[in-house]
Amino acid sequence: MSRAAVAVLVGMLLVLPWVGAREYPLALLYSTFMYAAMAVAWNIIGGFAGYLSFGHAAFFGLGGYTTGLLLVHAGLSPFLTAPVGGVVAAVFAAMTGYPCMRLRGPYFAVVTMILGLIVRALVLNFPWTGAAGGLWMPLPPWEPLAARRVFYYAMLAVFVLTVLTARAVRIGKMGVGLEAIREDEDAAQSIGVPAVRLKISALMLSAGLTGLVGGIYAYDRSYIHPDFMFDLNLSVLAVLMALLGGRQSWFGPVLGAVVVRFVDEILTIWIGTEAARIIFGLGLALVIVLLPDGLLPHLVQLRRRVPRKSAGRPVPVVRP
Amino acid sequence: MSTMLRVKSVSKRFGGLVVLRSVSFQVDEGAIVGLIGPNGSGKTTMFNIITGFLRPDAGDVEFRGRSVVGLAPFKIAHMGIARTFQLVRPFTGLTTTENVAAAILYGRGAGSVREAQKEACNWLRYVGLEDAIDKSVGTLTLAGKKRLELARALATGPRLLLLDEVFGGLNPTESESAMALVRRIRDELRITVLLVEHVMRVVMGLCDRVIVLDAGQVIAQGSAAAIQADPQVRRIYLGEEYGAAC
Repeated sequence: MSRAAVAVLVGMLLVLPWVGAREYPLALLYSTFMYAAMAVAWNIIGGFAGYLSFGHAAFFGLGGYTTGLLLVHAGLSPFLTAPVGGVVAAVFAAMTGYPCMRLRGPYFAVVTMILGLIVRALVLNFPWTGAAGGLWMPLPPWEPLAARRVFYYAMLAVFVLTVLTARAVRIGKMGVGLEAIREDEDAAQSIGVPAVRLKISALMLSAGLTGLVGGIYAYDRSYIHPDFMFDLNLSVLAVLMALLGGRQSWFGPVLGAVVVRFVDEILTIWIGTEAARIIFGLGLALVIVLLPDGLLPHLVQLRRRVPRKSAGRPVPVVRP
Repeated sequence: MSTMLRVKSVSKRFGGLVVLRSVSFQVDEGAIVGLIGPNGSGKTTMFNIITGFLRPDAGDVEFRGRSVVGLAPFKIAHMGIARTFQLVRPFTGLTTTENVAAAILYGRGAGSVREAQKEACNWLRYVGLEDAIDKSVGTLTLAGKKRLELARALATGPRLLLLDEVFGGLNPTESESAMALVRRIRDELRITVLLVEHVMRVVMGLCDRVIVLDAGQVIAQGSAAAIQADPQVRRIYLGEEYGAAC
């Protein structure tokens, strides 16, 4: 996307709450920002480095519980402590990443998934986290519409921060190293890429941003429970959105998240939650089988094809 | 002339299989040294030990007087050893230029991504890939991919270059120009070369010294001519026929 298009879009999103948008559209966009931020953050390790984590719900939940507990026990606003949630998630990522990062391919995917389940089981059983009863927080001190606006802006800010981080990684030296790791880790090491250090840095960034998202989300819910803060579906959804949109750039996961969020919403409104899930799942499976590189490369191709049809086969590789 | 690489009594076994049995040799600065031997004699294992991908069970490897045993492969690359792989392993999802730029950024740790990409073009030209700048790796022939790997290795700024069968699968014309390229790398860039090779014409035409491995042991080392004349080498490796033809 061009710089101008991004500026216009961000400008529109900034004024939207003041030009008549009520609770529903604000809530819909809020959750879109949230999913998009999660997908973009996941993509730093899953897409750029090619390490498919299925355990990102752990980072989300750790961020959420950190801010929740700090609010309940210390009275600190989650808007202030969300970064602490991010740090806790990142530290956890560093600790678990060191052993996990020795595994490649499906082994890494399975171990991260199991880690996510272990953290959920722990939180369910520690009494000081509220355990299976969940954690009740003081309600945010705003009227419903004002609260929607506040959380809308908070999640928008987290989303923008995530995109800026992912973009900086992608176009910088770190992105080059992560790509080399994704393509061939041994060859990457042979040209001097410190693979372990880079992978753990990428995982920590990814986890930290995901924890930040979880921190904001927890405050919005006011009541959190391991069943939805450490939900395996969240981990899977982050993977799906990134795959759907395309993993090569920061924009693919955003596209994937927007498509997932809106299609899901429309199907839910028209034909109900359960049936929507089935149709939605089938649709996703089809897209992933038919478009393994995601939607973005094909959209870019379409755009390139329009002005000059005889220009030959467009290059399938997308660069941001 | 100083010693670039010194391999001291290196042994390596995989389970019950002894792959290297107290192997010792050295590579002098500025030399082109060939490491030859039948399949399974331990050549690639030796390369993997020198570059840190494997750890020897016993013995030591010194590069410019410093032991590299136990160091991570990326650290050894930073010290100045670059390698190519027996089966080519370019980064296929990246362009040719990005492949080399990655090596500049991480091998020497210098400059910005943009500068690295600019410099990468020079390396592609150096190895004769001027027509393949900014192309996808898939468009290259096998010979082209091998040259790309060579450019990537050179871009890390090595003192010692390990070439694992870069001449295999090349036709005579390609292999002739690749030989000229290796000589230029040594003469112009002053990079010491250790190469594993099966193509005897290349080994004899290119190498100052040849080390012969058989079943994990050094059975002979010396000048190309001396190796060709060695009756044991002839019998085990070159075959009577090749010896007779010379």
